[in-house]
Amino acid sequence: MTDYAIEARDVAVTYADGTRAVRGVDLLVERGEFFGFLGPNGAGKTTMIKTLVTLLRPTDGSVTVNGCDAVADPRSVRATVGYMAQETSVDPELTARENLRFACDAYGVARSRRDDRIAELLELVELTDVADKVADDFSGGMKKRLDAATALVHRPPLVFLDEPTTGLDPAARNRLWAYFRRINDEGTTVFLTTQYLEEADQLCDRLSVIQNGAVVAEGTPDELKRRVGGEILAVELADADESDRAVSIAREEGLFADGAVIEPSESGVTVTARDARARGTDLLVALRDAGIGVVGFDVRAPTLDDVFLAVTGEPDGNASGTETEREPTDGVRSGPVGAGGRDSSGRSTSGTDERTGSGVDR
Amino acid sequence: MSAPHVDRHGGSFASDVWVTFVRWTIKSVRNPFVLVVSLVQPIIFLVLFTQVFGGVATSALEGISYETYLVPAIVIQVALVAAATSGIGLVNDIENGMFEKTLVSPMNRSAVFLGKTLAEIVRIVVQVTIVLVLGVLLGAEIATGVVGAVAIVGICVLFSVWFTAFSNVLAVLTRDEESTIIGANLLQLPLLFVSSAFLPLPALPGWIRTVATFNPITYGVDAARAVMLGEDTMTVIEITQFDGMWNTLVPALAVLLGLALVFGSVAVYAIGRAASADVR
Repeated sequence: MTDYAIEARDVAVTYADGTRAVRGVDLLVERGEFFGFLGPNGAGKTTMIKTLVTLLRPTDGSVTVNGCDAVADPRSVRATVGYMAQETSVDPELTARENLRFACDAYGVARSRRDDRIAELLELVELTDVADKVADDFSGGMKKRLDAATALVHRPPLVFLDEPTTGLDPAARNRLWAYFRRINDEGTTVFLTTQYLEEADQLCDRLSVIQNGAVVAEGTPDELKRRVGGEILAVELADADESDRAVSIAREEGLFADGAVIEPSESGVTVTARDARARGTDLLVALRDAGIGVVGFDVRAPTLDDVFLAVTGEPDGNASGTETEREPTDGVRSGPVGAGGRDSSGRSTSGTDERTGSGVDR
Repeated sequence: MSAPHVDRHGGSFASDVWVTFVRWTIKSVRNPFVLVVSLVQPIIFLVLFTQVFGGVATSALEGISYETYLVPAIVIQVALVAAATSGIGLVNDIENGMFEKTLVSPMNRSAVFLGKTLAEIVRIVVQVTIVLVLGVLLGAEIATGVVGAVAIVGICVLFSVWFTAFSNVLAVLTRDEESTIIGANLLQLPLLFVSSAFLPLPALPGWIRTVATFNPITYGVDAARAVMLGEDTMTVIEITQFDGMWNTLVPALAVLLGLALVFGSVAVYAIGRAASADVR
């Protein structure tokens, strides 16, 4: 038995039209880990997750999940993982309880334990009092929670969550985060894709950042933040036109340690340096001596946004607002029947796919 | 780190069939509206056609009431409408993610397909029975009695296979509910009219007779009608080796079985392709 929940070596996925969605990705996820797979829209996150859950067959490379070969023995992989797709997947004509019962039966939960398990999961996702209402009447957040519960019926040792909170309001998102933390605390390995840096920062033990189908950075959130090169000092000047002069002063005085990045910003100067906090006051004094008015300053630890900027060259992973990841993108990649803008199951993935029902809401 | 332990019970082919059957049956029972509405058009046809064309048609029919003549066509129409909804169900499943959810589960994929089909067969049996009873109440006679009625239901089920397969192929090709409904409905009426459904073929123009020879509806209707009347009714293929209605039933059922196999294989291939995405 290997120590890894996921062992992917040099995985490549090329769609029939030649689009190389994933190009040589290596992934090692340890059992019990909360692993984040981070990337901008169309980076290859969904293609990778679909390959790991056996919905896609890798063009190249090997995938072992829970010790089973995903290509040679996909059914063993399916039996031991839970998967929550990016688009909410529940049967709208069935009640919450019936959806869970179907999932229990599909995953072979013993009849004798089925009802207890359903009650437990309804409790976990706080849907007990609407258990016998059809899912069509649920709000988007409630459907997501039901969807999450159906992925957990068989107590899988490994759960895949593909952008589970995209399109949810902050309260619904926090609620889901709490469930995910809880199942991880109970020993379940979680593989999460997200374009929300805050989500990755809050939940994940370790992260991979993917861009254009390749991993561009890997490590714990802290390690990745350290890669940015230290703390960030932002100085706001009374007259923004003086920022170039302020930058020269900061550089000339040799105030900061080697490797510091000193740049003009919209309202003043930004310094990224290991000793940005310690030497910040020196800069303020130097600026005052030069007659440059300072109206404010802020020292902060780097966020994953900064990591993103540093490794992908993009401002953040959510450049297009609330839009969900398009994969295949914009009809360039093709699904199984060559229809553009659809994923492998054929659902349209353009735009935010938030089907919010009317009626029951909480 | 001790990960929770997976304990999969059941998971046999039969239980996968059953689980899927239950899901689809709940869905169709929960929507009695669809069940009823899909019966409305055939029933309107039955009532209106017998009233409007009954008098004229009887002269073309040698001593049979038009009700008796028409009921086999209407039950085939019911099977056709029901079969069309199979593809709609698949499209809905694709759209709401249940198709993928099923694919990612350890269920046997053939069992899933079979379970859904069984639920549809049960629906066809119920609907055809309702129409048969209604037809008898309106004055139609089943010469072969109750056994014949059961046989007619069986013929409708066999007949529905090719169109069920066809609507499923439409579903995976278009992946769109409207297109699937339009595609299936567009074919339904012309197919019925250019067949032996509403009038005896000898009473129809030559080109319709030619088209009817290649129209699956002809074989379904002729088989059901042969059982209804208890005699050889087929005019597109003349076979005389057997006895009475068997001269119709043997060739008609052979054709329907062949169609079921051909269309069924295409559908299984198409769904299989949709299930495994298109990567190199």
